[in-house]
Amino acid sequence: MKLPDHITLPAGKRPAKGPDRTPIYAMVGNPNCGKTTLFNALTGLRQKVGNYPGVTVEKKIGITYSQHGRPIQLIDLPGAYSLAARSPDEAVLRDVLLGRREDTPQPDRIICVVDASNLERNLYLVHQLLDLGRPLIIALNMMDMAATAGMRIDAKALERSLGVPVIPCEAVNGRGLVELKLAMSRIELPLARHRWDVPAAVAPAVAELQASLTGNDQRPPLVARAEALLLLTDFDTIRVAGSRPLSARTLGVLAQWRERWSAEKTDWSGALIHSRYAAINTLCTGVILRGRDQGPSTSDRLDAVLCHSVWGWLVFAAIMAVMFFSIFSLAEYPMNWIDAHVAALGTWVKGAMAPGDLRDLITDGIISGVGGIVVFLPQILILFFFVGLLESTGYMARAAFIMDRPMSKVGLNGRSFIPLLGSYACAIPGIMATRTIENAKDRLVTILVAPLMSCSARLPVYLLMIATLLPSTTVPTSTKAGIMLLMYAFGTLGAFGFAWLFKRYLFQGGVPHMIMELPAYQPPRFKEITRHMLERGWLFLKNAGTIILAISIVLWFLTTYPKHPDPAATPTEQIAHSFAGRTGHLLEPVIKPLGFDWRIGIGLVTSFAAREVFVSSMGVIFGVEGTDNDPAPLRDALRAAHWPSGAVLFTPLVCFTLMVYYVFAMQCMSTVAVVKRETNSWRWPLFQIAYMTGTAWLVCFVIYQAGRALGY
Amino acid sequence: MPNSRPNLHALCLLPAGLTGRVCELRGDESFCQRVREMGFGEASLVTKISGTTTSLCLVNGTRIALNHCAAMSILVERLPAGAR
Ligand SMILES: Nc1nc2c(ncn2[C@@H]2O[C@H](COP(=O)(O)OP(=O)(O)O)[C@@H](O)[C@H]2O)c(=O)[nH]1
Repeated sequence: MKLPDHITLPAGKRPAKGPDRTPIYAMVGNPNCGKTTLFNALTGLRQKVGNYPGVTVEKKIGITYSQHGRPIQLIDLPGAYSLAARSPDEAVLRDVLLGRREDTPQPDRIICVVDASNLERNLYLVHQLLDLGRPLIIALNMMDMAATAGMRIDAKALERSLGVPVIPCEAVNGRGLVELKLAMSRIELPLARHRWDVPAAVAPAVAELQASLTGNDQRPPLVARAEALLLLTDFDTIRVAGSRPLSARTLGVLAQWRERWSAEKTDWSGALIHSRYAAINTLCTGVILRGRDQGPSTSDRLDAVLCHSVWGWLVFAAIMAVMFFSIFSLAEYPMNWIDAHVAALGTWVKGAMAPGDLRDLITDGIISGVGGIVVFLPQILILFFFVGLLESTGYMARAAFIMDRPMSKVGLNGRSFIPLLGSYACAIPGIMATRTIENAKDRLVTILVAPLMSCSARLPVYLLMIATLLPSTTVPTSTKAGIMLLMYAFGTLGAFGFAWLFKRYLFQGGVPHMIMELPAYQPPRFKEITRHMLERGWLFLKNAGTIILAISIVLWFLTTYPKHPDPAATPTEQIAHSFAGRTGHLLEPVIKPLGFDWRIGIGLVTSFAAREVFVSSMGVIFGVEGTDNDPAPLRDALRAAHWPSGAVLFTPLVCFTLMVYYVFAMQCMSTVAVVKRETNSWRWPLFQIAYMTGTAWLVCFVIYQAGRALGY
Repeated sequence: MPNSRPNLHALCLLPAGLTGRVCELRGDESFCQRVREMGFGEASLVTKISGTTTSLCLVNGTRIALNHCAAMSILVERLPAGAR
């Protein structure tokens, strides 16, 4: 059976529907074909990043201008090997192109980015797109890589056999961009000329489905045909929120054919894929000219070392060590600088404004709340510098390959490693880095356990508790370091333990198969890396500027109101009188079994803003000023604290239990905000608070009660 | 794994440096389809680069990594050395 000769709708008619309507072009392509690079080159900084409503798929829209200066809206759709969806990302791609999404109009034209060095496989997606009968432009990217691999691609020949514009380009060097824009600006696009044979036995199914889609789902005939072909390999198994479902009639027809084929034990979807590849092979005969086999390429030689079972590990460990070291030590200077400037800003505002609640709100609420989060910006930028560097050189996929085996022991895949490692600095960039994990379940599990890795905001709490726990003069430093390491070990074990648990019980039946393409190695492109770094940094700041600001104000309110009746009350008395103080009292029955009193309770409440706030809260509650640089005075004050019964409050056991509490408890509003953003719902952050804080309570209860029973 | 044909290996057992032809895909429908759509279906040639648990292969000029589970589900027929 043949597809009709001319399957393209007259292109000029659509965009011209209303004179003011900006035409919408969609960019699609296989993963790693250079789509993002091309999208950035076309749109520059005129981009908006959001989410598709109801799903956790990133929506990127940019504006570019045609040759005549008319704006064109470009949508960067998720990368995929095929329109048959296997993940929410791919389902969004499919549904946008088929016009099934309520939030996104069907694109007027499609730009398909194709990796020239891997043409056959990339043409599979092109082949499916041609069926759609929409105006199509092919950007034949990575021509340089194809040349390096000893291939010559005849773009003109490909254009002749497909009938749609084929523009050779190199997105990284900006080559071919002008030609691509010229093609995009054309009012009429030529019609697709390609024809291929659908296996005869599938034809009745295609026809029946097509009729049902036209009749019951209001699809134009050509789209209906493409969708029918797709449904036969896809069976519409993955559906996402925000997309219009198929009509019951169509689903009935589909189920019927599916049943019949499974009874006949014929694999028509396999046959369809096979016949597409056969058509592609015929297409490619005159298009790809392969030179002589050039032997192992540079990438092959590099892989021999970097994926080696011994050397690979050594190199990987070295890279991770450098990354970890930079995040912690290099970041210290800018962090101190930000810290000092935030403090200076607070002081300046304090001096410039008349005393009063507004001033305190600005200094103690907003500046210190948001400032306390912004100090992590350098660590975030450094982590994303490394993530960008590893991605752009192609090493990231190798790192995932190397880590896949150990990570698979807890049911995660290799891509979860870097986000978890980054979470030692701060869970926020770690969680933001999970976007490189394609499998939605693995990504969610990684997000759920990432905050268990001991982040740097826990350090001040650990340091204070260790100082309180052990007299600095008599105890060797190694013991203190040992306790610290123990906390890191608890967190790490907790993360892996919960990952295993979640994968086993919560997200059963996740696909255990992993197939991943390893792109060729490339020299790093610092422009792209910087861009990526700034984009993530900006997202983080936007978060700090909105949700974190709001929570800072609420927390400030809770510690300031109601006012102590005596205007001359000390800060200690004021905080005890405030809502936070009352909450501390209310909490006492819950936390007393852990050995904590209401004053520690206040610390737990206020440090929900960020864990390190615990230290300054203790400073306020125990009436010690200037706790930041020297823990000694606060340590002494804590040691002197007692229960009303006269018993010592901060016994070594309590100090230890408190540290363990901070290892497990979800005490970080910024993480909550980021998890909400990344998972696009409140369900997961709330679950995270419940399971982490619940675990913290349980573990602390066991430790404290066991410790008491043993006489500590 | 019981084999219907004696010269069939799971891809993870193919020695490094050798080339095989994909003969059979096991595993669920969606896995088989994905493998086929990536041009890795029946009759394609695979060269093993390294690995037994996580395998690294060359298919159609592309390097592809597969985890153990995926590499177990792809059965290849070993071709004589230098067949490529
Ligand atoms: N040599 C070469 N590299 C490219 C070209 N276009 C993109 N890249 C690189 O290919 C890698 C993947 O590109 P990216 O845009 O992230 O791909 P995406 O996954 O399709 O969005 C990046 O490291 C780019 O720098 C090109 O034309 N030539």
